[in-house]
Amino acid sequence: MKSRFVQTTHALLMFTALVFGGSVLAADPIKIGWISSLTGALSSAALAENQGVQLAVDEINKNGGILGRQIELLTRDTSGDPTKAVNFAQQLAFSDKVHVVIGPVNSGEGLAAIPILARAGVPNIVIGSIDELIDPQKYPRAFRVINTNRQWISTANDYALKNLKKTKIAIIADTSGYGTASAKTATELLEKAGIKPVYSVLVDPNKTDLTDEMNKARAAGADIVMPWSAATGLLGRLLNARGDMGWRVPVVGHPALMAAQIRKLLNKPEYWESTFAAGYHSTTFGADGKLPQRTQQLVDKVRPKLGGGEIDVLFWWVAMGYDTVKVIEHAIKTSGSTDPVGIQKVLESTKDFKGVFATYSWSPTEHNGFPDSNMTVNSANTFKDGSFKSAPK
Amino acid sequence: MNSLTHTHKAWLLLGGLLIATLPGWAGDQYQLHLASLIAVYWILIAGLNMVVGFTGQLSIGHVGLLCIGSYAFAVLAGKSGWHPALALVASGVLGGVCGLALGLPSLRLPGFYFAMATMAFALIVNDLVLAQVDLTGGGIGLPGPLFPAPFDSPSGFYYLVSLLALGVTWLSWNLGRHMWGRALISIRDNPVAAQSVGVAVFRAKLTVFVFSGVTAGLAGAVFASLQSYITPDTFVFELSLFFFVCIIIGGRGSIIGPFIGTVVLTALPELVAPLAKLGNFFYGLLLLVVVLVVPEGIGRVFDIIRERLRPRVVHREPISPDLARLDRALKYKP
Amino acid sequence: MLTVLITGLATGMLFAAVALVYNVMYSTSKVLSVTTGHISMLGGVFGAYAISVLQLHWTLGLLAAVVAGGAFGALTELLAIRRVLNRSDEHLWLLSTLALATMVQQAAGLWWGTEPKPFPRLIPQDFGVGVMDQKFWLPIGMTLLMAIGLELFYKRTMYGKVFMAMSEDAFAAQARGISTDRIRLMSYVLSGALGGLAGFAAGQLTFAFFALGLTLTLNGFIALAVGGLGSNVGAILGGAALGLLNAYASYWFGGEYQQTIAVGLLMIVLLVKPEGLLGDRQVRPV
Repeated sequence: MKSRFVQTTHALLMFTALVFGGSVLAADPIKIGWISSLTGALSSAALAENQGVQLAVDEINKNGGILGRQIELLTRDTSGDPTKAVNFAQQLAFSDKVHVVIGPVNSGEGLAAIPILARAGVPNIVIGSIDELIDPQKYPRAFRVINTNRQWISTANDYALKNLKKTKIAIIADTSGYGTASAKTATELLEKAGIKPVYSVLVDPNKTDLTDEMNKARAAGADIVMPWSAATGLLGRLLNARGDMGWRVPVVGHPALMAAQIRKLLNKPEYWESTFAAGYHSTTFGADGKLPQRTQQLVDKVRPKLGGGEIDVLFWWVAMGYDTVKVIEHAIKTSGSTDPVGIQKVLESTKDFKGVFATYSWSPTEHNGFPDSNMTVNSANTFKDGSFKSAPK
Repeated sequence: MNSLTHTHKAWLLLGGLLIATLPGWAGDQYQLHLASLIAVYWILIAGLNMVVGFTGQLSIGHVGLLCIGSYAFAVLAGKSGWHPALALVASGVLGGVCGLALGLPSLRLPGFYFAMATMAFALIVNDLVLAQVDLTGGGIGLPGPLFPAPFDSPSGFYYLVSLLALGVTWLSWNLGRHMWGRALISIRDNPVAAQSVGVAVFRAKLTVFVFSGVTAGLAGAVFASLQSYITPDTFVFELSLFFFVCIIIGGRGSIIGPFIGTVVLTALPELVAPLAKLGNFFYGLLLLVVVLVVPEGIGRVFDIIRERLRPRVVHREPISPDLARLDRALKYKP
Repeated sequence: MLTVLITGLATGMLFAAVALVYNVMYSTSKVLSVTTGHISMLGGVFGAYAISVLQLHWTLGLLAAVVAGGAFGALTELLAIRRVLNRSDEHLWLLSTLALATMVQQAAGLWWGTEPKPFPRLIPQDFGVGVMDQKFWLPIGMTLLMAIGLELFYKRTMYGKVFMAMSEDAFAAQARGISTDRIRLMSYVLSGALGGLAGFAAGQLTFAFFALGLTLTLNGFIALAVGGLGSNVGAILGGAALGLLNAYASYWFGGEYQQTIAVGLLMIVLLVKPEGLLGDRQVRPV
């Protein structure tokens, strides 16, 4: 028999919980964690993605939020350090108790942080490209919005083999984690198509001159060079070497070939000709010179936030950041709550969700949502306002 | 340093109780994770403290040994299927062996040369890890295996690393307070004088260096398990700098100083978000300030404050002559 | 093959220039500073900033690089060296220069950005000239000029002799009325200016990149150790050896083991002849 004191206290507590609990539930914000690398290496991509994320969050909140609840965005900067990414993943999942996490940005951080989020059962929108980040068995609540590395490489390979009809391929990658992994995948995919590269090398991303490698590639009889590296310094030097040598071969490879910084590193602007990279239909000017309607709408919305003038970052970064939040909005709205099980079910049955960056589809066995149909190849020197023209067919 | 006073013992007991019951009072799993990370770092730093703090060998490349320990554990316990406890021991041994291999040629070199050699070692390890793709997964990295129950839960793991850290601390404390430790400090302060009183300088340096290699290997193994995934990006040179700064800030020649340094420097960027962005700049600034203002470490600042607040009472016992007795003695004629 | 030779020589000469900077610093302070590579990084970054961003003529860019380097050298001496040398603790200067190096690298990363930025063309020259390209000959020429200049400075000018006096015996120099603090500051400013000059000359080779500092510190040190501490000719030889070894090794074996090979060279030379090829036998510190 409980004492009078205990009973009264019990009732009082219940009463308080009901009163305050009820009111708290009504205004309870939806917490989205955003693990980014706003400083440090490769920060330019993260900063652009951040613009997209912020814009989407502000837009949704102005229109009343999701299911009447405002979004609270918790941004964490890892500076490219995987240990920090792990710490922030733990913090967001257990301390801040967020409902969804976007990121991390860099694949190296993703490899460490995504398993932690998976273990905590927090839904995770993945924006790193390395294939190993997605696994419906190991990480059941991780869904990828960006294309996979494989999609980049096979698009470039297809263009080289089928459109340009080249068969003697030289692969030049950097010694970083991304470079070594991509070189391996590229060689694999080529071998599946029956082609063996005539020359393949890994280069330190800070090597001051690539003339030797290009000479060796030429000596091996290469008729196309395919670089797999995100290091703009290396790519700039590669294009310079090609130009200085007077070697007329196309260069097809990683989207970083089209980055605005490359233009500044080139000895002559002509060196950017005959340079193609994997790109997206959503950020390609059509035959009529116009961007797809949804992309153009977002460009107009974002332009004032980027200074109002010409956009000099790759626009697909911004579009992708925007889409991550829209995907979350779709998942929570459709499932009716922030329950992770519900979110997972909704995303797994999403077909053709129209975003700006792409139209996404997931299934219980396929957590990579980016369609092959959105991949295309762009010409690097057609950069304008963050988008490109199609490469010649 | 020698024996513990009653106050010391009381503080240690309190600290020990706090540490032992941490999973109970820590706010959530994130804070438990942070505490485990501090323990893991401390395993390495306790060993490194012997090298840097006591012997004065400025090794800035210990992240290489941490990397070796981590990958050894991930490969042995993960790919090769060894029992994690065995893999842990093997990582420690491998760390020690690599410490020997690094120390033998470099410990004879003067200060700057030695520092550069250790830095180059860390860079070489990074190169090798990236290049040996079949063994280490190259840029993709390897998953860090978990320990078997009861250590696979976060609090279980915390107890495991705390026990390891305790063991390493006890070892290094014993090393520090007996004659062996005095020998090390003498080497730090003046190698020539040390040699002249018969300290086997090179042998002492090599022994502590191998010890620090073993602790780094052990730390690497549990680090891999804690992070659950290791990539070469994790083991950057800045991490070596971080370890180094923890020791210098804490004060060379003590053990509790670097421990407090580790706790503060690990937890601080998590608590103060703007610091997290400045990150390494902040560590550099802190190191510079400490070196210029209080080279003995922050611990010294506390000592100074304590002296001001509660100055040690020095008992002056003047010896006053007993004049009467002196008089009798002088007048005494046998 | 000729490009391998020339590239190796050019990067080697950049390392040799850093070794020369080490030598000048060491002569008056007996200190090897971790900030040495960062001086050249600043020279390249400030030169690029002056010419590309502020649109100044390249001579002004050169001046900017020299001033930036000299200023940083002075900063190193005032902050990290002066107060620390008096302490009995031998290795504090290693800590203070390491701290300063970290700070300047992070600050450069925050201000200049973490991407390598282009370094402008200094002399109008066609890009297709291969091995005759100025990005190779500028660092080679500059370093040789610097070495010759330093030799003349030491042998012919009063200040040069004062530097040499300080390096032989600082106490005796002080007893003869030389203000050792001021001379040390001067030597650091000089070494900083030289470092900035070297970074500017090699800018087209390395691009203006914030993370160069630590690599140059290490490689410049290897050049110094191989050639012998205190010898300028040794610095040139050591730098050339290191640069050529790096270039040929990555030509034949690929770029993965570059660091290993460079350090391997260092270790072998240090084991066989610890004072380097042309260094003086170190006097025992008793």
